[in-house]
Amino acid sequence: MLLDEIKRGDTVLEAQGITKRFPGVVANDKIDFEINAGEVHAILGENGAGKTTLMNILFGLYQPDEGELIVGGKAVKFKSPLDAIDLGIGMVHQHRKLVPAHTVIENIILGHPRAGTILNLKRAEEEITALSRKYGFKIDLRAKVWQISEGEKQLVEILKALYRGAKVLILDEPTSALTPIETEVLMESIKTMSNEDLAIVPFITHKLPIVLAISDRVTVLRRGKVVNRIKTSEATERSLAREMVGREVIFRVERKKVERGQPILEIENLSALSDKGVTAVDKMSFTIHEGEIFGIAGISGNGQRELVEVIAGLRKELEGKVTLDGRDITQASSLERWQAGIGYIPADRIDVGSIGEFSLIENLMMNYYFDEEFSRGGTLDYRKMRELTNEIIEEFSVATPGPETTAKSLSGGNLQKVILGRVLSRKPRLVIADLPSQGLDVGATEFVRNKLMEAKQEKAGVLLISEDLDEILSMSDWVAPVYEGVIMGILPGEAAKREDVGALMAGLELGGGAS
Amino acid sequence: MNEFFIRSLDASTIFTIAAIGELIGQRSGVINVGVEGVMLFGATLGFITAQVTGSYLLGFLVGIAIGALLGLLHGFFSVTLGGDQVVSGMGIWIMGFGLTTYIGNPYTGPLGMDRIPTFLGVSPFFYVGVALVVITWFVLSKTSLGLQIRSVGENPSVAEVSGVNVSRTRYWCSITGGMLMGFAGAVYALNYNPVWNYNFLMGWGFIALALVFFSMWNPFIMLAGSLLFGTLWQLSLNPQLVLPGLFSRYVWRTVPFAITLIVLFSMSMKWFRTRWGAAKPEALGLPYVKE
Repeated sequence: MLLDEIKRGDTVLEAQGITKRFPGVVANDKIDFEINAGEVHAILGENGAGKTTLMNILFGLYQPDEGELIVGGKAVKFKSPLDAIDLGIGMVHQHRKLVPAHTVIENIILGHPRAGTILNLKRAEEEITALSRKYGFKIDLRAKVWQISEGEKQLVEILKALYRGAKVLILDEPTSALTPIETEVLMESIKTMSNEDLAIVPFITHKLPIVLAISDRVTVLRRGKVVNRIKTSEATERSLAREMVGREVIFRVERKKVERGQPILEIENLSALSDKGVTAVDKMSFTIHEGEIFGIAGISGNGQRELVEVIAGLRKELEGKVTLDGRDITQASSLERWQAGIGYIPADRIDVGSIGEFSLIENLMMNYYFDEEFSRGGTLDYRKMRELTNEIIEEFSVATPGPETTAKSLSGGNLQKVILGRVLSRKPRLVIADLPSQGLDVGATEFVRNKLMEAKQEKAGVLLISEDLDEILSMSDWVAPVYEGVIMGILPGEAAKREDVGALMAGLELGGGAS
Repeated sequence: MNEFFIRSLDASTIFTIAAIGELIGQRSGVINVGVEGVMLFGATLGFITAQVTGSYLLGFLVGIAIGALLGLLHGFFSVTLGGDQVVSGMGIWIMGFGLTTYIGNPYTGPLGMDRIPTFLGVSPFFYVGVALVVITWFVLSKTSLGLQIRSVGENPSVAEVSGVNVSRTRYWCSITGGMLMGFAGAVYALNYNPVWNYNFLMGWGFIALALVFFSMWNPFIMLAGSLLFGTLWQLSLNPQLVLPGLFSRYVWRTVPFAITLIVLFSMSMKWFRTRWGAAKPEALGLPYVKE
């Protein structure tokens, strides 16, 4: 192992002029980069800036077309992730690479060269316990992975890498699925690890405050190139965002004052089961009025998906009532709900929100085929649909060669704009926006938020589901944190405190009668 | 009555060996619904070899070898080609049914060799079966190899990034599984029922397949299930031993299959999946495509 005798401050991993081309694009264009022991060096960039490619090169999934990787002073070539692991490079994936049905220990020792022919679980447990004590992790090693929280799963992945002797830790979007409290814990762990001379490389798309809080240096990527590398102490959120996007970005969408109108959506005592047959929505009640954004804050998997599906008519309720504009729609079909004025922006834009092989026109038709105007006696009016598609492409500034393009060839941001256009162009009474900016870059996020704000100004009610506290707090008139299917409280958006919402999302009660 | 129990154990042995083969494959994520076909091949070729050469040993070896070959074939379809495993398994069954009928026809009739001696009153293969169950349990739950096999069956991409060769693991599990199925077929034809007739296995492979689901992928529950089905089978042949005069024996013969049907059907129901789904290998039947 090359990295065994590394001292604090030594360069452990270096990339020199890394270039990687894919058909039609240069994903990485002469990227230089180095990381020292005991340093946290964040890589920042929007989607499509080349982060994923660089990460895959560092971890041996891709081989660079040009350039060199230098580990501990020696040029190396990785044929597969195994080579990278052997040289002390560990990767913590954004989408967890763990077997849910196995225990924490089994996951950690899987594939480990020292696991032995006959598993010595006792020795492994002692070693892993010592390791987690050293870095201050608290994990039940004998629990099954499906029983532990997202934050714990991430620590398990980190432990797995450390147990295999990682000296460099690559973290892909490390805070993306964590509650605010879990994020605190992770940031603490990262500090401890860097104090122990590990080198840590978090790859981050949009959580700029995290970058500022944990890193020593930042490298900003844009369109496959390094645009800047600075000490974090010299950077601000605004300067980083400008470099990342290439123009000035307005962070906070201005919360427009709109007079509260009639109630649009009333949810009374609503419960529903998840696919696994357990209660996912637990006696929820709330009302959304005209000109209001009602934000549901929570980590995915706390019943948001089921709630949205019940409102959209895609899931059967267990009990309770859904009322739209005074009409009981609990038993109405999805189609009846669209016709009554519900617009639905699904969280999964690729599998639920669009049909990849269909053109933009056909995808838009999914929300229009039932209108007299576009379907005369069952025959679709393509000419009218094309006009409408062109209008939407224009109004929502979708970057596409034309309306005949297939949905799957659009980038995430552009696809979301098409879906947004499809929903908002119907002038819905109620917009259900489920994780509307998830996975979008800063520019597209800003666009989506502004459009939702416009819908509110036009007297629509908006049900906003989000994991992003900044988004919820800056946009919502009402904030409702959810935890395990229960609405933990409904706070007025302007007065809601970040810490309070974070605590409620984690299932804690607010102390001292603060609410 | 004693004879009844010995015959029950003999029948259970064949279920056990075939089902343990299927179980190994399934834990790695490869389902082979063609157990019946592999067993028919093992039985027929084992029978012919033993009769022609006069050697039981050669008969068993040929049974195991043809099982390995069919396991390899199934592995090729489901791992290398990434095809539908159920379709491939069905193909193996139909091929087994057709080809063994054709190949074995001239050999119709009894084996005509001395019976394999019993050990402590029971066929020696019973002990082999129990040993296989214990070994499989030990390997799957106590060894590094077992952890790798289980991980490949649960989540192949996780196994891959942890340094496990998913394709190789699945191939070897499919081949090992095939060997055991072929061996089970040979035990049937050379020991339990040494008279060749077309389709003389009468669906035992499907019972073995159902047993794996019945067992929740646990070798010991599988052994218990085999004993139960072995007894049921014997009962269906001699119902007068327990309930003389009730139903015709043809009705009794359907009992093991009716139970098989019920087991397979309830395993595929939603309530079962939600309650017991955790035990099933997550990636069972799914081809693994590298990103």
